[in-house]
Amino acid sequence: MILLLATLYVLASIDAAASGYAAAAGRSALIRKGPHYRRAMLRGFFAGQVTAAVSLTLILTIVRLSPDPSALRSDIARVALRMLQVYLPFATILAGAFALRTLPSVDIRSLTSTLVFGPLAGIRPLVGVGGLLWGVWAAPRVEIVVGGAVLLALWLSLERALGYFYRAGEVV
Amino acid sequence: MNDLEISDEILAFDPETLARIPVRKSDVLAKFAAASNRRAVRIVQGMADRDDVLDPDAVDRRLVRVHCEMQRVSEEFQHGQRVAEILRPVLEALRRTGVPRPMRLVDVGCGTGYVLRWLAAQGDLGDDVELIGADYHPALVGEAMRLARLEDLNASFRVVNAFRLDPPATLYLSTCVIHHFRGASLDQFFRCHESPETKAFVHIDFQPSPIAPFGSWLFHAVRMRDPLAKHDGVVSAIRAHPGSELLRASREGASGFVRAMYGTRMGFLPIPRAFHSLIGLRPEYRDAFLQAIGPRRSRLGAWE
Repeated sequence: MILLLATLYVLASIDAAASGYAAAAGRSALIRKGPHYRRAMLRGFFAGQVTAAVSLTLILTIVRLSPDPSALRSDIARVALRMLQVYLPFATILAGAFALRTLPSVDIRSLTSTLVFGPLAGIRPLVGVGGLLWGVWAAPRVEIVVGGAVLLALWLSLERALGYFYRAGEVV
Repeated sequence: MNDLEISDEILAFDPETLARIPVRKSDVLAKFAAASNRRAVRIVQGMADRDDVLDPDAVDRRLVRVHCEMQRVSEEFQHGQRVAEILRPVLEALRRTGVPRPMRLVDVGCGTGYVLRWLAAQGDLGDDVELIGADYHPALVGEAMRLARLEDLNASFRVVNAFRLDPPATLYLSTCVIHHFRGASLDQFFRCHESPETKAFVHIDFQPSPIAPFGSWLFHAVRMRDPLAKHDGVVSAIRAHPGSELLRASREGASGFVRAMYGTRMGFLPIPRAFHSLIGLRPEYRDAFLQAIGPRRSRLGAWE
C-alpha cells in the first residue's frame, strides 16, 4: 500500500507543480518567462505538499477510526491501484508529449499543443473523477467514497486556488 | 453570422488623426444583438460605461489583459519561430541584392509586440535590421514598450499608421491581423504596400479549415480566462481569409509584387496547418529568396 500511495503522491506532486504553471500561464507577456514559471511551479509544488499532508492525515484518521483498520487498508490499496490504472496512462501520454516537444520542430510542438496538451488539460477534471470512480468501484465503502471525493475536490481546486496569488487583472 | 470580434467593436480611432473616437455601448450591443450573438452581448453588457460611452480606461486595461492571455496562442504555436523561418531567407535575399540598410521591418498592428520582442530577444536577424512595431492603440503600444524595456530588447513601438512611416518599411509583417481587414479594406491594405521602398511583405494568419473552428474553440476554452479572449479567439479563426482570397487581394492591391502562400500543409500530408503565410516580394528578389530558403521551398505554393 505504501508503494501505491507513494506513486499517487509523486503523480499528485507533479500535477500540483503543473497546476502552478497553469495558474501562471497567460499572466506574463514577457518573452523570457523562465523565472515566472519556475516560481509558479515551485508554488504549486509546495501547495501540493500541504494538500498531500492533509490527504495523508485524512486517510490515516479514517483508517484509525475504522472498526476494521486492516480490511480498510486493504480496500484503500485496491482503490489506489485502480486509480493508478487511469492516472498513469494519462501521465504517460503527457510525458510522451513533453518528450516530443523537445524536438526542434515548429509543427511537432504546435501539434502537441493542439492534439495533446489542450484536450488533455480540458479533460483533466474528468480523468480525476473517472480515476476515483474506477477506484471506488472495487471497494464502494462510504468512508472511501466520501474521503476520496473530498481529496479529489482538494486536488482539483488547487489551480484555482493558486490563481488567487495573482491579483485580478494583473499583468506581469 | 457571428463574425464580429468584440475588440474591433469596442475601440475606434480616426484613421487620419489616430484620435480615439468614443464608442457607444448601446451601438455595440445593437450590433451583436442583430447578429444574434448573445454571448458577445453578455460580455459587452458587463463592460463599464459613462453615460452609455464605453469607459476608455477600462477598455484599455481589459484589452492589455486579453492580449497578454492571447499571447499564449503565439507562444504555443511558435509564431516567433514561424516568422523567423520566413524572414531569414527574405532578409538574406534583400541583402544579396543590395537593398539599402538599415532594413526596416515594420509589424503592422503589432499589439503588445510579441513577435518583434521575440525576434529582438533572439537577436539573430542582423544588426542591419530595424524592428518597428506600429499600432493605433496607445495602451497596447505602451505595454509593448514597457515589456521591451523590462527585457532590454532592441525593438521600438509607435502609435502610428504603419503605412505612413517615413521612411517607409523595407518589409511589412503581420501576425493574426489580416483577418481584421474585410472586403474592400483588404484590397486597400495591400495597396498600401506599393511604396517603392517596400521590397517584401509577410503576413501570417489563421488558416481556415473544417477543423479550425473546433480546434480554436478547444484551445481558447481550455487556456483563456477572459470571456472576451475566448470569444474573439474563436471568431478570429472562423473568419480568417482563405489563401485564395489573400492571393487575390494582394494581386489586385499590390500588383508590383510576386506572391505565394507558405506552409499550408504538414509536409506531404493533407493536414492543414493552423496558420498559413502570405509572402510577397518584388520580382527581382524572388530567385535570391528561393536560393536562401533552401529545402523549405517545398512549403511554398505556386508563385503568381
